[in-house]
Amino acid sequence: MSLSAILLAALAPAVCFAEPGRSWDFDTEIMPVLTRAGCNAGACHGAAAGRGGFHLSLLGSDPASDHAAIVQEFEGRRINPAHPERSLLLAKPTGRMDHGGNTVLQPDGAGAARLVEWIRDGAPRGSSRRLLNLRVSYEPLQERLPASERGTPTAVEEGGAGRPSAPGVSERARLTRVPIQVTATFQGASGEPGEPQDVTAWTVFTPADPAAVEVGEDYVARVTRRGQHVVMARFLSRVVPLQFSVPLSDQEVKLAGEPRANFVDDEILRVLSELRVPVSPPATDAAWLRRVSLDLTGRLPEPALINAQLQDKTPDKRGRLVDSLLNSEAYADYWTLKFARLLRLHSLTNEPEALQAYSTWLRREIAADTGLDQLARQLLTATGDSHVVGPANFGRMVADARGQAELVGQFFLGARLGCANCHNHPLDKWTQADYHGLAAVFARLDRGREVRLLSRGAVTNPRTCEPAVPRIPGVKDLPEGDNRQAVADWLTAGTNRQFAKATVNRLWRALFGRGLVEPTDDMRETNPPTHPALLDRLADDFVEHGCSLRHTLRLLALSNTYGRSDSLVEGNARDDRFYSHAFRRPLEPEVLADAIADVTGVPEEYAGQPGGTRAVALIDPLSPASSLDVLGRCTLLGGCEEKPAVAAGLEAQLHLLNGEFINGKLTAESGRLRQSIAAQRTYAEIVDEFYQRALGRHATDAEAARWSTRLQAADESERRQRLEDFVWSLLNSRQFMENH
Amino acid sequence: MMSMTSKPSLARRCDGVTRRDMLRLGGLSAFGLGLADLFRLRATGADQKIRAKSCILLWLDGGPSHLETLDLKPDAPAEVRGPFQPIATNVAGIEISELLPQTARLCDKVAIIRSMTSPLGEHGLANRYLLSGYKPSPVLQYPNYGSVVTHLRNGGSVLPPYVSIPESRGSASGFLGSAHEPFETGGDPSKPEFRVKDLEFFPGVGEARIQRRREYLAEFDGVQSRLEAGAAPTDSAFDRAYRLVTSADAKSAFDLNAEPPEVRARYGPRMFGQSCLLARRLVERGVPFVDVQYTGWDTHEQLVRQLRDGYTGAKVGVGLVPTLDLGYAALIQDLSERGLLDETLVIAMGEFGRTPKLNTRGGRDHWPRVFSVMLAGGGVRGGQVIGSSDRVGESPHDNPVTPADLACTIYTLLGIDPTQNLHTADGRPVQINQGGMMIRM
Repeated sequence: MSLSAILLAALAPAVCFAEPGRSWDFDTEIMPVLTRAGCNAGACHGAAAGRGGFHLSLLGSDPASDHAAIVQEFEGRRINPAHPERSLLLAKPTGRMDHGGNTVLQPDGAGAARLVEWIRDGAPRGSSRRLLNLRVSYEPLQERLPASERGTPTAVEEGGAGRPSAPGVSERARLTRVPIQVTATFQGASGEPGEPQDVTAWTVFTPADPAAVEVGEDYVARVTRRGQHVVMARFLSRVVPLQFSVPLSDQEVKLAGEPRANFVDDEILRVLSELRVPVSPPATDAAWLRRVSLDLTGRLPEPALINAQLQDKTPDKRGRLVDSLLNSEAYADYWTLKFARLLRLHSLTNEPEALQAYSTWLRREIAADTGLDQLARQLLTATGDSHVVGPANFGRMVADARGQAELVGQFFLGARLGCANCHNHPLDKWTQADYHGLAAVFARLDRGREVRLLSRGAVTNPRTCEPAVPRIPGVKDLPEGDNRQAVADWLTAGTNRQFAKATVNRLWRALFGRGLVEPTDDMRETNPPTHPALLDRLADDFVEHGCSLRHTLRLLALSNTYGRSDSLVEGNARDDRFYSHAFRRPLEPEVLADAIADVTGVPEEYAGQPGGTRAVALIDPLSPASSLDVLGRCTLLGGCEEKPAVAAGLEAQLHLLNGEFINGKLTAESGRLRQSIAAQRTYAEIVDEFYQRALGRHATDAEAARWSTRLQAADESERRQRLEDFVWSLLNSRQFMENH
Repeated sequence: MMSMTSKPSLARRCDGVTRRDMLRLGGLSAFGLGLADLFRLRATGADQKIRAKSCILLWLDGGPSHLETLDLKPDAPAEVRGPFQPIATNVAGIEISELLPQTARLCDKVAIIRSMTSPLGEHGLANRYLLSGYKPSPVLQYPNYGSVVTHLRNGGSVLPPYVSIPESRGSASGFLGSAHEPFETGGDPSKPEFRVKDLEFFPGVGEARIQRRREYLAEFDGVQSRLEAGAAPTDSAFDRAYRLVTSADAKSAFDLNAEPPEVRARYGPRMFGQSCLLARRLVERGVPFVDVQYTGWDTHEQLVRQLRDGYTGAKVGVGLVPTLDLGYAALIQDLSERGLLDETLVIAMGEFGRTPKLNTRGGRDHWPRVFSVMLAGGGVRGGQVIGSSDRVGESPHDNPVTPADLACTIYTLLGIDPTQNLHTADGRPVQINQGGMMIRM
């Protein structure tokens, strides 16, 4: 029997003896069926141009036009109330008629049945019930426990991924089956919340990693890999992230006795304990000093500092060192570069004064540790001569108002608004009205040298084809006028934590090699942090301390988590996001170039720059610097947050091997090596000095002995060459090229 | 959405060949490869039926218009037809664009797929889909063909196993890691001063010292690597650089001046042609994967100027398609004359096609639903057209081929079992190809 025959047979009575119609709500009852079947996905009818002449709004964001497309377009040929099951709306997705998207709806399934009933009742739009609340019940921590020990399922409401407490009793972890239930509460006719309804069948479940979790047609998640995994549950426009955790080990680990310097350690150890990951021991003083010096100032520690630190036995020596690093000129240089990349600073044609004013201002503010909320206000509201007023250049680094809206989203919210240019963001709350509304705030800005507000200027919302109404994204429309102050107020308001979260997440990444949310410019509900509670606490703490970068950097640098060794212990080798050990990471290209110059004692010459200019001072990514290009510096004007620049690959290696960059510095008469040889210092002295300068530690006795043997040579020029080769190898070693 | 890609269950999938397939011989004969051969290939891993030792990918970046190159619609309405006419080729019944006269003379060596189809119409995503056979995912970046090939065939040659001329676009290696990124030649091979940067020794630092630096480096890193949890010895960037710079023979592969002037002339004077010649020199010396990047195919406006003329008022067309024609035909012909075509798979493609209807600027916009790809050599039977598009070049008419199908086919032709697993850094197995089927007529 053909599928259509089955369908007809099953539905024949309903067609002949139609019951009186129930009341329908297209928006919340029919639309989810189509979304669940994938009809309005971006690759299908949800595409901007639709598919096969049939266009639906992306993921059902515009129910009114979708209802019209289904019921009215082409004189209603898509539905057939007399014979609902023959409607195109059913015949195509159930595979009874040729359908480019194949079969996406089971002919005898609940979805098809609901569509049939709805069409039979006249396919009404019906009343629109507002979705008040969506609740997903499931057990986030996956572990087979004795029945008596099982807790009640955790309920996660939109707005935050709940995390259950650690289990009391453990048995062998099972990679197992987790039922999921989704209930929705709608506003009833009276305006009061109605009874919660089970909408599990109409929810779309999308695992971020299908190889780790899958959700079957039975609404049971099957977790097949250890670790922490995310599944997005979508119903109507709401998206709720579900987080499933399976401990990485079957052995419980004892972390209660681990020392804790501040709340960072509390949160990190709590998660490690839940996931049963043992921690590495503390790093040595020398290793910690090299790490913190590179992270806070982009520079290697000098031998004098290393020795002072090693000899210092006072308890708060690390605190004092961190303070001195944070107050150094090198800190200001390095963090100016980091923020310059985020704010997309670059030179404007024939206007070197603009970049000069902007970068000078930025460095001054960073050096003064101006609260980032104050910085934000200046950036958003500055006007005037951009060759004098640094922050007035904020809007000049992008092409237009839309570009500025995207930059505001990326820098201040850590979010990618770009999707919402053409359609509502499919994975986030941003709508087209938000995107174009934010752009409208900047539409009247004259982006010439004299930055000022013009009397007119608008952006068109492509959906309405009308000028977009200025808007605080996700919050409210604004009246006509200069709204930049209103946006600044909203971003920096004490209640708005998004800007703080985006910032502390970037600071975290700078010190730990990975963001709590990764990538750091893609924060959204559906890309949850590895440590949600920690991110919240860090953001609160940042705001409480005047949005001071130094305060948060100090907090992180002095945590025991930051002070952990990069060496592995049994059971934590696979951890790449829970901070049970320090993660090795390559030096950034600018930092690497400066480090090579510092160790060799020969500054690199950069075209058009005064002698002695450091790579971290090259704020302009357009300034010529061929060696930095080979080492892989970020030259994209849009920034490199998603894929940070590193020196890797054959080209960089060839340059280090055969290029001028290192070779020239080894043979320079003014360089440290030639000078040391001229001063007739011993092998042991030379080896130890370079170890200190490059690796931040003394050579061990065994190392010193081995090098003494290797470097011995009868003739002087041979001796010199061996020393050059020694320094070259040191500068190409992983120990040098990585921060660890 | 998942079932969007579902195929009839009896279809031959890359995930495994069914017994039923075994009985239904001949399905793969489009490529001169029977199922029994495929089985033997999988059993032994090295069957003589697998001819392709190398692969040259000519990447037409931006999305070339199928309607102006390989899939013309002379009978369609004017707004679809476009400015160019089809011409006959040396295979009866196959016509291609008048802008491809050299290619038309050797269509007996080329298989044209006219039913490529993909849902992704944004450059970045489509790039990654076509270059890996995997739809882009937020959690895992899949490696491109070149990186997979070199990951599996990383033995022997001093030359880098994966070369990109002049440079790759974005990361190619995905989860396989930066060791599998292509080697980028940089520069423009058509320029007389073309050199690969840093290939020659620094003055005073010759081979003996390079050798010593290598020993010294092991002193620093050797100890450390041994300490790291049983990690297999990796072929570090340094090792690769070391082997390359110490081999005069290997370095000469990049020297186009070693080619006779008449050979250089055949490929045409422009960058794409000379890049094709460099690609030939590299595969001749055993490089398993070379890609030539040819940018500029995102023709949203002025098709005639961009595709044919090259600049306004040109008397002889030097635009995208004539340049492609010259380089492509010379490459196929040259490989064939040297007896290399049979063992070299040459793929010419971009990330999608162009809209059937011309836009108001005389150009065409992105159109992934149907487009064309050329395969030649490597055991592919030439002189055939695989699949077709509909009347206006809007959708596949028959035998739709997805990027996953293409990947399954390319890997199989290169003797790589598409069902084999690769491993991510944290040890997760990922099959080389998922959901693709061998392409057939």
